[in-house]
Amino acid sequence: MKFTSIRALAVAATLPATAALSGGGDLTVFDWSGYEDQGFFGQYMSKYNEAPSYTFFGSQEEAFTKLQSGFTADLAHPCTDAVRKWVAADLLQPLDPAKLNNWDNLLPEIKNVDGVMLDGKVYMMPFEWGNTGLIYRTDKIGDDQISLQLLADPAYHGKIAIPDAASSAYALASLATGNRADYTKLSDEQFQQASDFLRSVHPNVRFYWSDAGQMDQAMASGELEMGWAWNQSELNLIWNETPAKMMRDIDKGIATWVCGYVHLKSSTAPMEQVYDHLNALSDAASGKYIIESWGYPHANTEAFTISDQDLIKQYGFDDPKAFFEGSLFFDAVTPELEVKMLKEFERIKAGF
Amino acid sequence: MNLRSEGAKGVALSAPATVYVGFLVAAPLLILVAYSMWTQTYVDIDRTPTLANYREAFTDPLVRHLMIRSILIAAAVTVVTVALAYPIAYFIAIRAQKKTLWLLLITIPFWSSYLLRVFAWKLILGFNGVLNSALLALGLIDEPLTFLLYNEFAVVLTLAHAWAPFAILPIFVSIQKIDPSLLEAATDLGSSRIESFLRVTLPLTLPGIIAACLVIFIPTVGDYVTPSLVGGSDGKMIANLIQVQFGAANNWPLGATLSLLAMLSVGFVAIVFVLSANGFGRRIR
Repeated sequence: MKFTSIRALAVAATLPATAALSGGGDLTVFDWSGYEDQGFFGQYMSKYNEAPSYTFFGSQEEAFTKLQSGFTADLAHPCTDAVRKWVAADLLQPLDPAKLNNWDNLLPEIKNVDGVMLDGKVYMMPFEWGNTGLIYRTDKIGDDQISLQLLADPAYHGKIAIPDAASSAYALASLATGNRADYTKLSDEQFQQASDFLRSVHPNVRFYWSDAGQMDQAMASGELEMGWAWNQSELNLIWNETPAKMMRDIDKGIATWVCGYVHLKSSTAPMEQVYDHLNALSDAASGKYIIESWGYPHANTEAFTISDQDLIKQYGFDDPKAFFEGSLFFDAVTPELEVKMLKEFERIKAGF
Repeated sequence: MNLRSEGAKGVALSAPATVYVGFLVAAPLLILVAYSMWTQTYVDIDRTPTLANYREAFTDPLVRHLMIRSILIAAAVTVVTVALAYPIAYFIAIRAQKKTLWLLLITIPFWSSYLLRVFAWKLILGFNGVLNSALLALGLIDEPLTFLLYNEFAVVLTLAHAWAPFAILPIFVSIQKIDPSLLEAATDLGSSRIESFLRVTLPLTLPGIIAACLVIFIPTVGDYVTPSLVGGSDGKMIANLIQVQFGAANNWPLGATLSLLAMLSVGFVAIVFVLSANGFGRRIR
């Protein structure tokens, strides 16, 4: 008697899930924390009435390690520089652009970034992008004075921070040494120049930041006067009313990153549901939300036209194409170069 | 028959510990040894045994530098912590009326998370932190001191604070175990207070001191959180390099090698320390 009632309950509990539409929570997304914000996928919410289930990672390397040791999900959110490695490790399945409703509206410059497409197959649906650049205190350093080379100026001893990430540090060094175009395939000589630049910067480094909040606070307090960081830091400083901005001059050097969603091989959710979520994420309305509330530029061109134009101007997104051409894109560097960068960067940080 | 059942009892009693040690200590250690002899090739692992990782670790001046720095930092933490802990433990064991209350008070730092305590030190030592603000307000300095944070000093200070109870408790136990009649006898035989401390109390509490040193030294050599948060680039330790191998560099075999070498170095230093401390104990008795 007792058994049957339990079984009946169990059957009743599974009924709603097996109805025409599967539950929204059945879709699993492996993401950076914060991206579970429902404003990013309004369409999905109105169709499924339930958000996907999110699991978070703190860095792409952590995500990669976790996926390689068997963690499963439907979608993941890396940046373009990681895609080649993830494909090599057989973690991803290609996307079908025909099922991506907003594919044609995505910024062409972003769509052409290495890693979105590999060997003729689309592996990532770009979602958001942004800049990594030199943020400086405008009350301490003049606009005409600022340059990447200033980072190595002994006058700024202990007044600068750069990321504790080899790829980002070498992007900065490649820009500063005039090797922007060869960032992903630096020759030995160019690599040496870049490393020498980082060595000359090292004595000035207060800390190598690993979380952007640490950088932002140090900029706001005046502990730092310059920092190589994401545009989110610039916005945080603007919102905090700190006189600071990012050096957005392609001749002086700026980098661009692109992140997006990839379809994992371990995915078990129905194809339709996966694409419903991708389409919700790339929707112009989601783009408007992320631009206005988060200050992140979205991949959909239409999102910019429907957003608050004053904010777009304030955040520096009014003419993105103008600096795409001169910007360094965080493409995947060759595996051999990646190993060299990581090794050398550890040395540089330790003062060798 | 009787002996056999005794033996069976012994096996039964030690089985849980054996299984525990086997699965949670020996097996992971073997995996680590195996990994250290493999090679990372981009996203895969080449399982042909090789000593290349060891060769790389031994010839790399960075590894040596970080290993020596880690041992020195841990040694400094141990010395500072034990030196500060001894008088506290002595006070509680000999003088304090409400021993339980005092011991409870000492464990208070442990009521909050380790990470929070590290962040607390960041707030105290930071550029616009508590210490700098206070000194500025008092007019003792004109601009914030920057040597407080992001160096070895900050690492030693933070670790010494975090590990203090681990030093106080074993020393407290060893002091409390001392039979007061021994001290009375020393006094009767004409020892001054200092002499009786040096010749009776100190030798008898040496096991507590050694235990405290080991309990602090061994984990702090491999500490990762504190150097990464308050160490800056001058305060990085070997664990930070190991973390890079398991994370960004995605080179688990090299990471495993470095972990094993760190373990061996710690073991070596600890054994040398225990032997010399025991020798010292015998001499002062």
